[in-house]
Order: sequence, then C-alpha cells, then structure tokens
Amino acid sequence: MASRYDAIIIGGGHNGLTNAAYLARAGRKVLVLERRHVLGGAAVTEEVFPGFKFSVCSYVVSLLRPEIIRELNLPKHGLEILPLDGTFAPMPDGNYLWRVNDHGKTFREIARFSRMDAEAYEDFGKAMVAMCHFVKPILDMTPPEPTSLRLKDLRKLLFLGRRFQSLSAVDKYNQVQLMTMSAVDFLDQWFETDVLKACMSASGIIGTFLGVRSPGTAYVLLHHYMGEIDGAFRSWGFARGGTGAISNAIAGAAREAGVEIRTEAPVARILVRNGKAEGVALASGDEIRADIVSSSVDPNLTFLKLMENGHLPDDFVEEVRRYKFRGSSGKVNLALDALPDFRSLPGPGPHLRGAISISPSVEYMERAYDDAKYGRFSRRPYIDVVIPSLTDPSVAPPGKHVLSCFVQYAPYNLREGTWDEQGEAFGDTVIDTLAEHAPNIRDIILHRQVVTPLDLEREFGLTEGNIFQGELSLEQLFFLRPVPGWARYRTPVRNLYMCGSATHPGGGIMGAPGRIAAREILKDSGQGLI
Amino acid sequence: MGDVRDFIIIGGGHNGLVTAYYLARAGHRPLILERREVAGGAAVTDTIHEGFRISSLAHACGPVDPGVVGDMALERHGLEMLRPDVRVFAPAPDGRGLLLHADPARSARSIAALSPKDAEAYGRFHESIGRIGTALSRVQRMIPPSIDRPSAGDLWNLLGLGKRVRDLGPKDMYRLLRWGPMPVADLVAEHFETELLRAAIAARGIFGTFLGPWSAGSSTVLLLRAAADPHSAGTLAVPRGGLGALTRAMSEAAIQAGAVIRTGAEVARIRVKDGRATGVVLTGGEEIPAKAVVSNADPKRTFLNFVDPIHLGPDFLSRIRNYRAAGTVAKVNLALSRLPRFTASASVADAAGGNGAAPLSGRIHIGPTIDDLERAFDDAKYGAFSKKPYLEITIPSILDPSLAPAGAHVMSIYVQYAPYSLKDGEWESRREDLGKTVVDTLAAYAPDLPGLILQRQVITPADLERIYGLTGGHIFHGEMALDQIFTMRPLLGWARYRTPIEGLYLCGAGTHPGGGVTGAPGANAARAILKDRR
Repeated sequence: MASRYDAIIIGGGHNGLTNAAYLARAGRKVLVLERRHVLGGAAVTEEVFPGFKFSVCSYVVSLLRPEIIRELNLPKHGLEILPLDGTFAPMPDGNYLWRVNDHGKTFREIARFSRMDAEAYEDFGKAMVAMCHFVKPILDMTPPEPTSLRLKDLRKLLFLGRRFQSLSAVDKYNQVQLMTMSAVDFLDQWFETDVLKACMSASGIIGTFLGVRSPGTAYVLLHHYMGEIDGAFRSWGFARGGTGAISNAIAGAAREAGVEIRTEAPVARILVRNGKAEGVALASGDEIRADIVSSSVDPNLTFLKLMENGHLPDDFVEEVRRYKFRGSSGKVNLALDALPDFRSLPGPGPHLRGAISISPSVEYMERAYDDAKYGRFSRRPYIDVVIPSLTDPSVAPPGKHVLSCFVQYAPYNLREGTWDEQGEAFGDTVIDTLAEHAPNIRDIILHRQVVTPLDLEREFGLTEGNIFQGELSLEQLFFLRPVPGWARYRTPVRNLYMCGSATHPGGGIMGAPGRIAAREILKDSGQGLI
Repeated sequence: MGDVRDFIIIGGGHNGLVTAYYLARAGHRPLILERREVAGGAAVTDTIHEGFRISSLAHACGPVDPGVVGDMALERHGLEMLRPDVRVFAPAPDGRGLLLHADPARSARSIAALSPKDAEAYGRFHESIGRIGTALSRVQRMIPPSIDRPSAGDLWNLLGLGKRVRDLGPKDMYRLLRWGPMPVADLVAEHFETELLRAAIAARGIFGTFLGPWSAGSSTVLLLRAAADPHSAGTLAVPRGGLGALTRAMSEAAIQAGAVIRTGAEVARIRVKDGRATGVVLTGGEEIPAKAVVSNADPKRTFLNFVDPIHLGPDFLSRIRNYRAAGTVAKVNLALSRLPRFTASASVADAAGGNGAAPLSGRIHIGPTIDDLERAFDDAKYGAFSKKPYLEITIPSILDPSLAPAGAHVMSIYVQYAPYSLKDGEWESRREDLGKTVVDTLAAYAPDLPGLILQRQVITPADLERIYGLTGGHIFHGEMALDQIFTMRPLLGWARYRTPIEGLYLCGAGTHPGGGVTGAPGANAARAILKDRR
C-alpha cells in the first residue's frame, strides 16, 4: 500500500465513493477511508438478524443521477433497480387511498373520493414534471457566488433569471409557489381530498424539522418529485440486495478505476499546515499524506471535530455552528414471520409491494409535527412503510419478510429523557400506530431494530441524526449550502473540499454532490472530467 | 355625457386617500366612494363609552411613509404624532419584565438585567436590522418590476436596490439571503438566549399573519417591517386623537388638492365594457361613470364581488380565489376606570425613569416565550382561537389624555390568533368567550385589570369583514407570506397596481408593500396610474 495519494476521501458513503470514482477516472490516485466495517454510509445493507437483510437507513432510491449510473456504468457493477409501485394509505375509518403508476387505476381510485381531484391529479403530475425540468439543470450546477461581481457568477445568476423568464406564465406561477409555499397550501390549490393532500404532502417534510403547513415544504415536495420524472425508470424503486447494493456498485466502479478503499479506518484528524490540507491522521495513529482531502462527512464533523482549532476563520466556524441539522426522523426495521394484514384492505396483495403511508389526514400530519416542536417524538407519527422482501426475496428467508418503517417526527433533542431511555418507547409507539391499521402486526414480529436519531449520529456519523447531513430548508439550499460563501465545495482550508449531502444539491441517494465536487476539484488542478 | 369623472376610488381608507391626493395633485378630480359614514377604513377613532375614544382597529402607524407625510403636509392638516420613548414592554408572568426603548443603549441596560450576553448581542442585532432595513427601505416605494418584460425603469430600480444591498457587503447580504426564508424563532435564537427578548422581537415576524414563530418565512415579515421602520423594536407612532386623526388629516389634504369624498356610498359593482372599466354602480342602483376605477378594497372583494367573472379569465379567477386572506386577528378595546398595575412594572420602573405609567406608554407585548406564541398559533391551525392568545396592547390615553376622562384610560388590544373560520360555532356566538379569554390572559399580568373595565368592545374577524369590508377579516388585505409579497402581491404578473381589466387599478394593502398604515401602496399605485395617463 502506498502512503502518498493525490486525494483522500473521508467517508465511504455513496457521495464519497462517487467523488472517488470520478477523481480516479481522471487519473488521480485515490484512497477512500471508511470508519465502519461496511461501505455505504447511510446507503447500506446489513444483515441485522440472521437471514434478514435491512436497508438500515435510506431504503428507497429515485434521485440517483442518471448520468452517474451511465458514466460509472453501475448496472455492470451489479446495480439493479426494482420498481416500487404505488402508495397505499390506510385510513382509520376503514377506507384507504391507493395510488399506482397505472393512471386509469389511480384515476378511479381518487375518483372514489372526488372526481375533480382525479382530474386535477393528472394536471398536477404534468405541472410537477414541468417544474422538475426547470430545476433539473440546477441539480448539476455549481452554485454561483451571489455576492461576487465575477462575470462567471453573474452569468449563472442571469442564466437562472432568463430560464425563469422563459417559463410560461403558469409555470412561473407554479415555480414561485413551489419555492415559497407550504406543501399543504400548495396542494390545497389543486385538491380537496384530505387524505390525498396528507399523503402527498408527506414527501414535503422528509428530513426537515418542518410541518406540512410550514412554508418551504413545497420545495422539498419537488425535491422528492425529481425521482418521478421521465417515467418508471427513475421513479421510486428498490435496489436489489438493498440500498447497500448501490454503494457497492459505485465502489465497484471506483475500484475498477483504481481507487483504494479501506474500511474500519476512522479518520481522527485532518492534517493542516499553513492553511493547507496535507492529509489525514487515522485513529490508529498512522498519518497518510495527500495533495487534497475531500470530506463526504458533514460540516460539523469535518470542521469542528476532525480539525484542530485555529485553522479556520472565526466567522466561518460561527456559520458552521449555526448550520442546522436537528434530525427529525428515525427508523424501525422489523423481521416478520408473515405479512401484515390491513383492516382497510385485507389479505396479501399488490398494495403491500409499494409504499404504505401512514398519513391519514393533514391534521394527523400537523399534530405529529406539533409534538416534535415541543421536544417529544410524535404520539402518532407519520410512517412510510416498505416491505422490500416482497419485491426482492433475497433479503429475507423463504416465507419471511423484512419491513422498514421511516418514522417522522423523532426530534434529536428531547425535552425529557434521552434517546437511549426512550428508544424502545419510540419503537412501541410505531408498532401501536401500525397495529391500528394492521392489527396482526404484533403477532408476526420476529425481531425489531429501532434506529433513533441518536443512533444515526453514533453509528452513521450523521450529526444530530439528520439524514440529509443538514436540513433541506430554503436558507440552507443552493448557494447557501452548507454555509454562505462556501457553497462551491471548497473550504477556507486550501486543498480541503466537501463532497457530501451537506453541499448542493443536498441529500437523498443522488450522488450529485460527489460528482460536482469532483468536477470542482479537477477544475482547481486544471483538468476537466474525463 | 360631458362631465365623466376621470377617477373613482372605491374605499376611503388611508391608501385610498393617499392615491386620491396624488391623483388630485396631478390635476385630476378623483371621487372617493366610502361605504361607511366616516372615511378612514381601518384607521379610525370611535367612541366606545361615554367620554372614551379609541383607535378601534389599527392602533399605530406603520409608520406612515415620510414622503407621504411631507407631500400631503399632514402636520399642516392637524396631524400630531406622539412617539413614546418606550417602544416595547414585555412582562413575564413571574413578574420579570423587559423594556425596549428608542435608544438601543437604554434597551441594552434593561436587557442586561436578564442577560448581559443578550444585552451585548442586542446592539449588534439592532445595527444589522438597521442596515438591512435601510437598504430595503427603497423597496417600499418601488413599483414591483415586471417579470416578463422588465422596463428600463424596472432595471434601473433593481440596480439601485442591488447597489444598496451590495453596499451592505457580503456579510449582511448573506444575512438577508439566509434570514428571509427562516422561521423568526430561529432568527432570534441565533442572537439571544432570553426567551422574553426572543419572543418580544419575534412578535414582529408574526403580527397579523397566519404564521407562528416556527413557520418558515416569518423572518421575511420581520424584514418587511424593518424596511418600513429599521428600528429593531419597531417605532410606535400614534396620532394625537387616534388613527382617525391621521385619516382626517389625509382627507383634508386630499380634498384641498381637489378630491371629492362621498361617504355612505357603497359600491355594488364595477361596470366593465369591452374589457375596460367604465364606472361603478352603487348598492342604491345609482350609476357613476368614470374613465378609470381605482379599488382600495382588497383583491378578493374587488375581483370576486365587484367584477362580473366573465371579464376575468378562469386562470386569473382561480388564482385570486387561491390568494390567501384568512384573517387571524381580533381586536378588543377596553374603557378603564384607571391605569392597571402590571406586576412586572416594578422590575422595570427604574429603567423607565420611575414614572409608573412610562413602561405602559409603548407597545405592551403579551407572549413571554416562543412556545407561548407557537402554542397560540397551534390552536388557530385547528380552527379555534388561542386559549392563551398573543396580545399586542397600547394604552394611547397615557400620551394623549384627551382620549379618556381624567385619570381614566382606554386600552387597545390586538388578539392573535383568532382564525376567521372557526371549527366549532360562529363568531357571533363566541364573541364574549373571546373577550373573556383576553381579559383572563391579561389578568395574569395585571391582576387588577378585570375590576377596572367600564366597557369592553370585541371585534371578531367576522366583524372585520362585515363592518370594515376586510375579506376573510384579514387586516392586511391578504396574508403577508413569501408567496404573496413584492412581485407576487397580490399575484405574480399583477403586482404593478394594474389589473386584467383596463382602467381598473388596485391601491390597497393587497398590493406591494402590503399591510400596515404606511400609505406606501396608495402612493405607489398613484405613480403607476399617472404613468399610464401620460
């Protein structure tokens, strides 16, 4: 093993690996250092209980940038996306709303509640696709520096302005609303059916500490809608073998390009001399030198934990301290002996193959948020349930199943008690909530894994358990992500870069931050992408 | 018909009067049609009890745009502004209190008693709000630029604004960019550790809106206020004789300039012919032709009540229907036999200079913590008025004894949140519950208050709509939210005081820069209208 590299990547999550792969393909000698025994960061599959493989954190994929799949030839490295069709939303009154990719079916289904909504649903889909197409190029853009007068930056801002101008009046109107409104206010304009609005607004709060009625959530709605554009291929799906398979595919591409990857190699310190990064010191004590260091972990770890004081300007440190994480979600993973049986739609069936959304009403969603505002996990949380083993039998023993619950809200900061004390109570709340819709759930649980925000922080290095490495709130997006003046993947320390979800365009299994960061790194060393 | 009026202005509120004045000054003879018996709209003074007069709705100026005050020579028309040195008095139930003064140094001394750290931070906060507010002040008097075809003038204005903002330097520019979308609760938490101070400052970001301190974008509201008034605690400017005295002065200025005001004249319809406004029809059936009609009524009322839908595209109509204007504010006015004793007054008596009344001469903020404010909002989200409402109170008779008999006082209370649509019951049947809730809430801070009440007037959101013609009972003619300000007020593409109907204009708080007694919308509208005439 060499002890000198062109680039060291801190963190073997999907962004770190993507960043590494692109740098290596440009001829760099790259080393990836992962703290844990497995690669993938939050995009990881682990056999938590014998025979049961869980996507422990991130559990579905839709945002992964197509150019990355193409350029890194991920299918060749084992990436296979299995479709996740539909969203099933059971209601306490025994009714349910079940939306699938089949338009006719969904139309009839929504028409059971409101014919007007059924018609509006089609138009809504079209409008959102138009909006996604507007935002798409921004996902691949290095944010401009709005306070600078450099031509490059002005041109970018102008480009955005012109693009916006070129939209039709209606699209302009929608776009502005999406950037400024709350998910529910936005949806109110389209639909009258409460459960439909509740279920759709759910994707507007994921990873934020906002309620469905908080302005700004309409944007997050769009952010998650990106996955839906251009039809099935990139609509929500599972990776065969769990989300870890995505990371492994990227790792495969990276290794092929010559990247060296080390697991169980926690970085203790980033070595800085005269304002220049020179490498890293591992927890083991060895020091590894490199021309550049690229960190895929969040700003709190990168700048406040892995760096000694004095290397950074005070106001930068102040901004990093100000950067908002405050995780608001947890996971509950279940190993099941059989399938859950829903009161509103009994028996096994295709409705179990898609997402099962516990979001029966807008008020339910909002009350769940109210609990979190005052420092408690939701008494009745929003839960996004998937049963991957129905689509990908390889993740569970024959006849058995894995069920994953994404649960919001679970505020990192509890007013009473600690997460270590409250973790099991949180798990019970989730089971109780599920049992109201699928009474048999308690009898079929073989094992239960509760992942609290604190666990996300300790196990996966996500500060305050934020799954996006920092809130996706408007003031932390684009040229403000992660902090004002440093949204261009560079840092106040020369040769130290950021390439994780805390940089534009943010979280989700997208890979974009890693890819754009690579482009910027190579730009600085005077070489474009290969 | 030889003598067709060139302008009819619907509504004699402060903005209508300002528009009328500028049109008259330009040589026109606008006719103002006011539904009620008195002009002034939401800025009026009423008698609520023998010898007790009070600003029944708005109880402070926004403040009025200095340009407007100057142009209309309002002082000459009898306007006298009273400005107490105490800006905000924020009592806590535990008897601690906080005073914010005109002079930040004095405020800092009062804050220091609660937290030396915050006392220091306040100075910095005061300065950056001052700098940013001043840079934005130009926006107030700007006709929002056209999005599709920005004119040379638009670009020039934007450049001017851009320069002002750029002159702030990167640090403040980024503050502006970051703060805008933030919840005001985060904004104050970034600066202060004392809940009482956080809540008192944050209140400015939620006043009159359907937002709680944790709602993203509430900081924008605070920044908009700062643009009108760059003081960190907000100024308090009250006309002697109440807000009615302001609109009376405005009326006189307008009349002197050549405008005509007709009260008791309620408009039923705006007449439109070939896509052009040709006049109005009064509820009595009387038709008044005019070359142009300017509506000071709110956008929903103007387009959904006065205009036949066939004259507006379905797209425009659905957008106006979606324009959010659900009120959140009620008003309670009290006639008091004497000044109430706030338990927290003692803690600030020295800071206020001994005088017992001084602490109460500014705004009294009830809502001691961010959680209190947010919980008050939570009730409203589910269609109930707040069990423990956030209150903004003034006792104008302290500075202006003419409002009440010797020794007696009037107390004006803004009550938030009181949602226009109640989940249970009608406002008519809940009026007294609301009044009682307010007095009970206040009694926790001023225990002797209930015994001093000679008269209680409760104005519910339903009353705001019925009596003052505010659709949805929204005091700002529509929500001040990220998606309904500047180039989006009332609608994106229609933020330049013009409407899809030729010769029909808007000049009210439903246009940029929005609500508050500033007169800026009225003045901007007049400029836009006069441009078209040239």
